[in-house]
Amino acid sequence: MTETELSLERLLFNLNTLAELGEEITSPKDFTRVVKSSLYMVMGSFSSSRGAIFQHENGSGSYVPIASKGLGDIGGLKLKLNDEAVSELLKRREPVDLSSGGAGLLGAARETLEKIDARVLACLTVKDELLGLIAINGKFSGEPFTVYDFQLLSVMSQHISFSLHSHSLLMKLMHKYTENKNLYENLRRIYYDTIHAFAAAIDAKDSYTRGHSHRVSAYSAALAREMGWSNDEVEGIRIAGLLHDIGKITVDKTIINKASPLTSYECRELNSHPVIGYEILSKIKFPWKGIPMMTRNHHEKVDGTGYPDRLRKSEIPIGARIMALVDAFDAMTTDRPYRPRLSFREAICEVRDNWNRQFDPEVVHPFISVIRKEVRRETDNPTIVPLLQEEIDGASLNRLLDGFPRA
Amino acid sequence: MVKRYRNFKELGDTVVLYPDDYINDIEGEKLEDLCASYLDRGFRKIVVDFSETELINSIGVSILIGVIEKVRERDANIYFSGLKRVNYDIFSIVGLTKHIRIFETEEDALGSGSKPVGQAVL
Repeated sequence: MTETELSLERLLFNLNTLAELGEEITSPKDFTRVVKSSLYMVMGSFSSSRGAIFQHENGSGSYVPIASKGLGDIGGLKLKLNDEAVSELLKRREPVDLSSGGAGLLGAARETLEKIDARVLACLTVKDELLGLIAINGKFSGEPFTVYDFQLLSVMSQHISFSLHSHSLLMKLMHKYTENKNLYENLRRIYYDTIHAFAAAIDAKDSYTRGHSHRVSAYSAALAREMGWSNDEVEGIRIAGLLHDIGKITVDKTIINKASPLTSYECRELNSHPVIGYEILSKIKFPWKGIPMMTRNHHEKVDGTGYPDRLRKSEIPIGARIMALVDAFDAMTTDRPYRPRLSFREAICEVRDNWNRQFDPEVVHPFISVIRKEVRRETDNPTIVPLLQEEIDGASLNRLLDGFPRA
Repeated sequence: MVKRYRNFKELGDTVVLYPDDYINDIEGEKLEDLCASYLDRGFRKIVVDFSETELINSIGVSILIGVIEKVRERDANIYFSGLKRVNYDIFSIVGLTKHIRIFETEEDALGSGSKPVGQAVL
C-alpha cells in the first residue's frame, strides 16, 4: 500500500469509527457498556493497550474510573485534580501529551497517571464543566502521537462527553425523582397517620366503640373489593370508613355514652354527626372522590326513612350504602352502653330482616359472599371474620344463609 | 492428536482460534478470555485464523491488542492467518502488521518454514 493509499484508508477507518461511536453513545444500551465500548474504540483507533475513562465524582473533586482496559482492577484509583488544574485543562481543551511536559499542570494526579502508564490525557467537557477524562498509554506500534491523532482524539472526546453529560443529567433526574418519591412517601405516611389519629380521637369519645372506625374502614374496603372496585376507589372508602363518624367530635360525650334512651334533643344532637362530618370533610381536598358524601349519607336507609337527607336506594351514593351496612353490622356485633353485642347469627338475621328496607340488596349479597369466602378460607387476607368475637363454621353459616332473599 | 471444535483446534501445545465473522463489539472479548485460558493450560503457540472474519473495527483492534499483550506477557507466540484484505489494511493502519507475524493460511502459520506476509518485529 502506498503512503497515499494508507492515508486514505486511515481516514476511512477513522470516519467509520466516529460514525460507530456516534451510534454507540446514542444507543439505548446500558451506560457502563456504552462507556466501555467507547473506550475500546478510542484505544483501537490509536492501538493503545492500556487506557481508562474517569468520571467526576460529585462532592469529592476526584475523578474515578468507570471503564478501563489492560490495567487490571483499578477500582480504587482516583485522579485528584485541584481547581487550578481543572481550570487549566478546561482552558486547553485539547488532549494533553503527558510525555512532553504537559503533565506539569496536573499536580498529584500526575503520579496516578504515571502508575497506569498514561501517555495522553483527553478532557471530557460540556460547556465549562470537566465531566471526565480519558487516559491512554502509548501506541502499540511505538509510533508517536501526531497532531492528526490529537485532533481525532479531541473529536472522539466530544462524542463521549455528550454521553457522559446525558448520563449525568439522567442520574440527577433520577436522584430528584427518588428524593421527591421519598418526600411523597413521607407526606403520605403523615397523611395516613393524621387520619388514623382522627379515627382514634373519634373512637376515644366512646369507650364502647373503640376500634369501630378501623373495623368500618376494613369491612368497607373488603366489601368494595368484592364488588369489583378499583384499588384507588377501595382506598377512598377505606379512608371514608376511618372518618365517617368524625362529626361525633362535636357531640357531647355524655350523649354518646348514655345507656338510657336519648331525649329528643340528645337524639337531634347525635343525629347531627353525619352533617357535621360532611361539613368538616368537604373542606378537605382528598385525592379520592366521594368521602364527604359517604360520611353524610352513611345513616340513610334504602326505604327513605334514614337521615339526614331521607334519600332512597339509588339516590344514596353506593359508598354510603356500603358504609350503612358495615357500620350497622359492627354496631350490632359489639357491646353498646344500652345493650350487649348480638351474636353473629342474630346480626345476620337483623340484616336479613332489614333487607331492602334499611340495607341495599346490591350491597348485602357481596357482603354475605365475602363472609362465606372468609369462613371457607378462600381468601388470602380475611378481614371481617377474624374481627368477630366468635368462631363461625361453614355448616352453620350455610344453614343461616339458607332462605336468605336472592338478589 | 488433533481436537477440532467450532471455535478452536488443539494440536499439541498449539491452539488455533477461529473468531466470529465480526469482531466489532465488546462481546469479542471472549476471544481474549479464551486465549488467556489456553495460556493458563500451558499452550505455547496461538494461531488466530481470521478466514471466517468479515470485519474487524476499532473495538476489535483493541481486543486483539489485548490478546497479543497477554501472549507476550507469557513469552508465548501468536500468529495471525487468513486475513481478508480489508482487515489486513486495518491492521496496517494501526501498525499491528509490524508487530505480529501474519500468514496467508492457517497451515502456513502452523508450519515453521513459511514466509509471513506481515513484517513482524517479534
